[in-house]
Amino acid sequence: MRTAGLLLVTAVLALSTALIWREWTLPAVSQAEKQLQSRQRLAVLPEGSYDNLPLDTPLPRPASHRPHSRIVAAYRATLAGKPAAIVLVTQAQGYAGPVVLSIAIAPDGRLIGSQVVEQQESPGLGGRLADPQVNWLKQFANRRLSDHWALKRDQGDFDQLAGATVTSRAVIEALQDALVYFDEHRHDLLGDPANE
Amino acid sequence: MPWSISMNIATTSLGTLPMNKGYLLAASLAPLLGATQTLPLATAIGACAVMMIGLHQVALVPLRNRLKGAAHMLASLLLLAALASCLQLALRAWLLPVALLLGPYPALLCLPCLVADYLLPQEGRWRSLLLNLAGLLAACLLLGACRQWLAEGLGLHLASLAPGALLLLGLLLALYNHLRPGTAHPRRQGKR
Repeated sequence: MRTAGLLLVTAVLALSTALIWREWTLPAVSQAEKQLQSRQRLAVLPEGSYDNLPLDTPLPRPASHRPHSRIVAAYRATLAGKPAAIVLVTQAQGYAGPVVLSIAIAPDGRLIGSQVVEQQESPGLGGRLADPQVNWLKQFANRRLSDHWALKRDQGDFDQLAGATVTSRAVIEALQDALVYFDEHRHDLLGDPANE
Repeated sequence: MPWSISMNIATTSLGTLPMNKGYLLAASLAPLLGATQTLPLATAIGACAVMMIGLHQVALVPLRNRLKGAAHMLASLLLLAALASCLQLALRAWLLPVALLLGPYPALLCLPCLVADYLLPQEGRWRSLLLNLAGLLAACLLLGACRQWLAEGLGLHLASLAPGALLLLGLLLALYNHLRPGTAHPRRQGKR
């Protein structure tokens, strides 16, 4: 009887501590998540190349389902009121799960850069997609839609990640999808050009 | 790593297994191998382990003499569940990038907590706990430093993966056994 009482007290204390702690850390957790998200999504833009808060005003994204990927979010970065870049967050199917990329595109259709936001590829193979030392995504910087968007083994322009053909193809297709999407929706994404 | 320093004579009330053979290290193997790719990460998981095991032992103090057997285990599990949840939340709130890298490993620290509670001797309990925690922390830090140095400094990719960590841990323990002062190797006992 006394044992049961003690156990009950322990259970109640443990549960209430956890719940109070959760309540207390909740604002900090959500703020940290928001901060991390904005850092991950905007890390593709060079420092000082924009002066607004792009994540506060997501753009509408009609027809977001592309052949190989899905546009999850679109943001406009501006510098002194003029569009400096469009950031497209896109999700493609990798080898082990979804790969989420953040892609920055300049108003002239040039790819500024791309970064991995989320991936579950095999460590050591496709996982090196996010490895800053390999920096495989760097080869796509300053490329345009007119380039040949495929791996060299598919008669394209780009090197693949060793041992990760599926991941490499998925990423290249997602990047190409994003550039095509930008091309199709250029006016909506950049805002009304008549105002410029 | 003071795994085998003294404590040979002390026995627990639950059994006769002394806490001197690196059981804590063995029970912490998953977090130790999975979350020590770099020194900062290893520091984080080491600090988490010390905090979890220490707090768990402190929380069990008022219950130790009042609950026995299955009831003690149940209370211990309840406390662990609360502790692990709080730790996970704290990591997410204040160290989110680290929390994402650590993944599920802070929660897996519950196993070494249970093992420590079960195997720590009744006499000299706190001293033994401190020695074991110091050893665990040292193992984490050493492994983290070595893995980061091998992977980034020397470009040895294997060191950043879990199998490499296991090999490295084996080498480090062998080195420790070779260098440690005190008790002779079992095979040499009797020849001295």
